Amino acid sequence: MQCVRCLRESASVVAKAPDGSGAWEMIYCKTCNFSWRTSDEEQFINPAERDKSFQLEGATLEKVQILIPIPPLRK
Amino acid sequence: MAFRDFREFLKKLEEEGQLVRYSEPVRPEPDIRSLARAAADMPDTGPAVILDNIRGYKGQQLALNVHGSWANYAIMLGLPKTTPLRELFYEVARRWERYPGEVRRVTNPACQENVITSGINLYELLPLFKVNPYDGGCYLSKAITVSGDPDDPDNFDKTNLGLYRLQVQGPDTIGLNVVPAHDLVIQLRHAESLNRPLPIAICLGAHPMLTVTSCTPIAYDKSEYKYAGALSGAPQEIAKAVTCNLDVPAWAEYVLEGEITPRLRVTEGPFADMTGSYSSLRAQFRVQLKAVTHRNNPIFENLYCGRPWTEHDTLTGLSTCVPMYHQLRETMPEVKAVNALYQHGLTVIVAVDNRFGGYAKSVAMRLASTPHGVPYAKNILLVDGDVDPFDTLQVRWALSTRVRPERDVTVIHNTPGHPSDPSSDPPGMSGKLIIDATTPAYPDKVSPKYRTVEPVPNLDVYRKVLSEMQGNLARAVGAKP
Repeated sequence: MQCVRCLRESASVVAKAPDGSGAWEMIYCKTCNFSWRTSDEEQFINPAERDKSFQLEGATLEKVQILIPIPPLRK
Repeated sequence: MAFRDFREFLKKLEEEGQLVRYSEPVRPEPDIRSLARAAADMPDTGPAVILDNIRGYKGQQLALNVHGSWANYAIMLGLPKTTPLRELFYEVARRWERYPGEVRRVTNPACQENVITSGINLYELLPLFKVNPYDGGCYLSKAITVSGDPDDPDNFDKTNLGLYRLQVQGPDTIGLNVVPAHDLVIQLRHAESLNRPLPIAICLGAHPMLTVTSCTPIAYDKSEYKYAGALSGAPQEIAKAVTCNLDVPAWAEYVLEGEITPRLRVTEGPFADMTGSYSSLRAQFRVQLKAVTHRNNPIFENLYCGRPWTEHDTLTGLSTCVPMYHQLRETMPEVKAVNALYQHGLTVIVAVDNRFGGYAKSVAMRLASTPHGVPYAKNILLVDGDVDPFDTLQVRWALSTRVRPERDVTVIHNTPGHPSDPSSDPPGMSGKLIIDATTPAYPDKVSPKYRTVEPVPNLDVYRKVLSEMQGNLARAVGAKP
């Protein structure tokens, strides 16, 4: 299914409410690592309503800042 | 009285009227956040909150705001809950010098009453929630990550315990955020240069003092366990993890055991950090879990982080002040107190007797070069030794009457900064601001105008009389005291 943040079709249900109540499902996107609960407020889980500055539509994730560089391999 | 573990501390908080059990039904979002924020808005007296009726998580327990007020912090130290902040500071400073405290190894620990090695799903095992609305996922914001040095694996003191934010990314994988100054990065560099995974254990609901020492600036080869023992007076009981050789807190509510995948970076964030702003998306480390162990009827402890003042400030506050206080006093005994409460030491107020002209500014420069001061101490304010740096009114008086703007304000350009500080640009770079609000000393321009009025004697007697009279009056008119 579509990720509400990066809009790629790489999200899926990873959990349901463990008490069996059916209260919510948890969805996770394996491209951008975003997750959300279906019972969350609409303004935060509806792509049309989310604050655009938090969206990653078309974003190139390779350009995300690496704070800790990968070191050279020891010989 | 020294607490053995998290549950004994919760029991004591409840006895002291500092713990509320909230059993009304709540939604994970946004209700948990609302309760946590409300509790955080009472920094002096706010209670810990235990929730046990979260929709979808019936039967599971969540603890919030456990360190969220000075009253709770005082109780953790075994002091009366009304102990003034300045006295809490000096108590922590005094106990700091008791290092090393006792660490005791046990077997069959309570944290391993239940062991899960397959089908791990954190979204089901823990009552997770989004701390802030635009966070990238559910975060573990009060978890202690235990790790060892791959180049020195048998050195107990190099076992690192750190409070790093952890983003749950799928049922059994986690994004781990670290910044260059973190000790875990030293160990990761060793592991990654050998292309080896680094075993870690993520511990939730540990001894309250261990959570404090895990977010305290401590030398790399000093032990957070031993500091927790010294500060709490309680032997820290540890046990071997199930899947690796790490030492975990024996009474932790949960331990998530796994490995950091070497030479891999994954997107993590954003997360509304302790500065009150969302940090940006970053490329960080990935943890793959191998086992989850937990106590019977476990309690998931987590922390609300947002616009300060929050539990993060109370949790980290005093143990941020104390190491720098002792480091300054090694060569500058004129330092009387250090207040580094503001966002883990981004702003620091130092009370110091000005030994000679310009001495206070030298103290600022020494502070800026301490291990924690290097990336953090951005705004450094010096006040006289008889000014309480924890008393906002006194500090503002010093600013108002002692600062000569043309002489006492210094800006140092191009110094390290902290990536979580939104004004650090680029992230990790900043400057330092020194404001000297001390009384000038010879050969600087000394003036009799600086002499303050004499202190009034026997004040305690009069304060007591007025307080009692006011209390009697309140009772007479039926008002709450």
